[in-house]
Amino acid sequence: MTATESLRTGAGLDGELLRDLYQRMLLTRQLDLEFVTMQRQGVLLGYAPLRGQEAAQVGSGAVVDRARDFVFPTYREVGVAVAMDVDVVGYMATHLGVWNGGAYDPIASRFGAVNAVVAGSVLHAVGWAKGEKLTGSDGVALAYFGDGASSQGDVHEAMNFAGVDRLPVVFFCQNNGWAISVPTARQVAGGSVSARAAGYGFPGVRVDGNDVEAVYLATQEAFARARAGEGPTVIEAMTYRSGPHSTSDDPGRYRELVEENSWIERDPITRLALRLREEHAADEAYFEGALAEARAATESIRTGITETVGRPAEEMFDLVFANRPTTLDQQRDLWRAAAEGEERGDD
Amino acid sequence: MAEISFNLPDLGEGLIDAKVLEWLVSVGDYVERGAPIVEVETTKSALELPSPRAGTVARLHAEEDEDIKVGDPLITFEVPDDSAGIVGTVPQQDAEPKRRVRVQLPDDED
Amino acid sequence: MTDAPTTAAPSTTLSMQAAINLALEHALAQDDRTLVFGEDVGKLGGVFRVTDGLQERFGADRVFDTPLAESAIMGMAVGLALHGFRPIPEIQFDGFSYPAMNQIITQLARMHYRTRGAAPMPVTLRLPSFGGIRSPEMHSESLEAIFAHVPGLKVASPSTPTDAYQLLRQSIADPDPVIFMEPKARYWNKAPFDAAMALADTPPIGSSRVVRPGKHVTLVAWGAMVSRCIRAAEFAAEDGVELEVLDLRWLKPIDAAGLAASVGRTRRAVVVHEAPLTAGLGAEVGTLITEQCFGTLRAPVQRVTGYDVPYPPGDLEDHYLPSTDRILSAVQRVLEYRRG
Repeated sequence: MTATESLRTGAGLDGELLRDLYQRMLLTRQLDLEFVTMQRQGVLLGYAPLRGQEAAQVGSGAVVDRARDFVFPTYREVGVAVAMDVDVVGYMATHLGVWNGGAYDPIASRFGAVNAVVAGSVLHAVGWAKGEKLTGSDGVALAYFGDGASSQGDVHEAMNFAGVDRLPVVFFCQNNGWAISVPTARQVAGGSVSARAAGYGFPGVRVDGNDVEAVYLATQEAFARARAGEGPTVIEAMTYRSGPHSTSDDPGRYRELVEENSWIERDPITRLALRLREEHAADEAYFEGALAEARAATESIRTGITETVGRPAEEMFDLVFANRPTTLDQQRDLWRAAAEGEERGDD
Repeated sequence: MAEISFNLPDLGEGLIDAKVLEWLVSVGDYVERGAPIVEVETTKSALELPSPRAGTVARLHAEEDEDIKVGDPLITFEVPDDSAGIVGTVPQQDAEPKRRVRVQLPDDED
Repeated sequence: MTDAPTTAAPSTTLSMQAAINLALEHALAQDDRTLVFGEDVGKLGGVFRVTDGLQERFGADRVFDTPLAESAIMGMAVGLALHGFRPIPEIQFDGFSYPAMNQIITQLARMHYRTRGAAPMPVTLRLPSFGGIRSPEMHSESLEAIFAHVPGLKVASPSTPTDAYQLLRQSIADPDPVIFMEPKARYWNKAPFDAAMALADTPPIGSSRVVRPGKHVTLVAWGAMVSRCIRAAEFAAEDGVELEVLDLRWLKPIDAAGLAASVGRTRRAVVVHEAPLTAGLGAEVGTLITEQCFGTLRAPVQRVTGYDVPYPPGDLEDHYLPSTDRILSAVQRVLEYRRG
């Protein structure tokens, strides 16, 4: 497929599933707004907002079978975490400065540690998928990355390896238009990440990333192919980073308000609400209830975050190795002696 | 009633101060948590700070156009005793370190 | 080694971030072969605003954004240098240089050698470095020992706005690759500054600087740890102990003579760095001191460093970074040391 080809859109998911997706997208939105607020209140050290990308994240994450698949996130995937019922308070430990990578169990939750390295985990997905093939299992690796990350050499290496071995991996690119201040046009030669798949000998599809049904169906199809042993797929979800890159960023320096506003009418939540209203008989009472539920869940997660107790500093030493050398024990002892002196306040 | 102060947080990766552009609340106002209280400008951007808590504004610690250091008090709220509690603190960069180790020259130092 | 400039106090103050911006502006104006490029250095002006306004003034051919690919940034720098340019690439954060290590080590550092001197590499890599700002993972790395270990690279790190200006202008003018490690934690601190005076006072490459004289113990540091050592020295002065603070400035080549001169006077030394202990630059500094001052040293050189652990989350940062107390404890250890 080429960059000029039209976006794939979705239709036909049943009402119950759509309502579940809506609820999760709404929660994601409420959480995202709250996390930005919490950074401005000095609670979170920093945060990478995802506003505008709720359909891309929830629609893809909802396809994952947590009994057999594995997800490799970056650092902007609260919506995927919500779709997969990952402990969001634990996820936010990374933004709280409590533990880099989050404090949830990535193995049990099938949602890898929050990864600060752009494109850092795309090759891990390929390795994990190779493991599934070697063991004759039918799990699928789902790798998240962005338009910016697609410039990293690792992404080429990952796609090439996966293509050579026909591995069960789905490369899910959220093309949100901006890598901090650099627009996709200055980032992706040819304009399309999905078009690259042809060169690696597997399918690439470009979907309307703000249409949750389209995202869900494309992901479902890619998963089915992977499970059937037919190899990898690139999905490029075209969406928009409505907020700043991070709470330290100021988009006003590099993009126009007109552009930001043009995406308001394409807002993924508004669009799904419209579809629920017109095709699935959702009424005002439903929407009010959904919002109240999302707000209550957000408040509870906020409370969980503000009540999160920092990890003991010993973990700085204890978690470096599985089999810790005594030299590190010695450093921990030195640290403890210093810390205990501090508690005594000796003079 | 108790008083709770809110210090200026680091709004962006190591910033050490910000300028108060405009106060959006006045002493005596009751504000809800999350309501905008002040617009500030850092070296990186201008933004509104949401109130960290609900309460009555007791004091504003800076004038408009005044620079304020990260970690210094920004606003003080008056709150009922039972709802006091801290929301978010930021350690001060290179703040006055608390000293406890003393040093001593050896007796035979020339 | 040179002493701190003693000329009349300049009338303006500047942050290190602004001083670096000014050094880039002056270098771009002086030599049209210089190029500034990296992630978000153009319109945005860099995530720390260090390149603010440069694209506007010098155009998008000389100050440009690259795709998000650090290996490409450094590989391109090598190619541009081969073409005769003087590239001044930026890698946005210390930890983002890991994907570029292959190009830095296998290409940039040895191209001059490989080409028998036919292809000098006047490349200055600006690398916001070190910790102290409670940042996310991979945004607080201290990589000086890794770079210093690579033959063909020079490494510098400033501690003040004036130093930043001098060292950066000097690095850009030098025909060899320099890794310029900017201490993020000191970007916004202001100090008196005068560009012309700074340029005139620039000591040769490889010069350290005594930033606070003292006679009992020498503290050796660089980057953000210099100001912490100065604070520790102020504390010690309350107890009648005079600490000399030596800002190494050049982490390769290291000013061995400057170390010998200072420690020759004080006869005791403590090295302070943020990087982990093992195989850190403190080991090199300690050895240089011991080699030159063994006969007069009153105590083994002590190191106060980060621990051998990944840089911790913001919450635990203060447990990791050398504190004034840890520095003073090491000072006390060298003061009370007895042979035998």
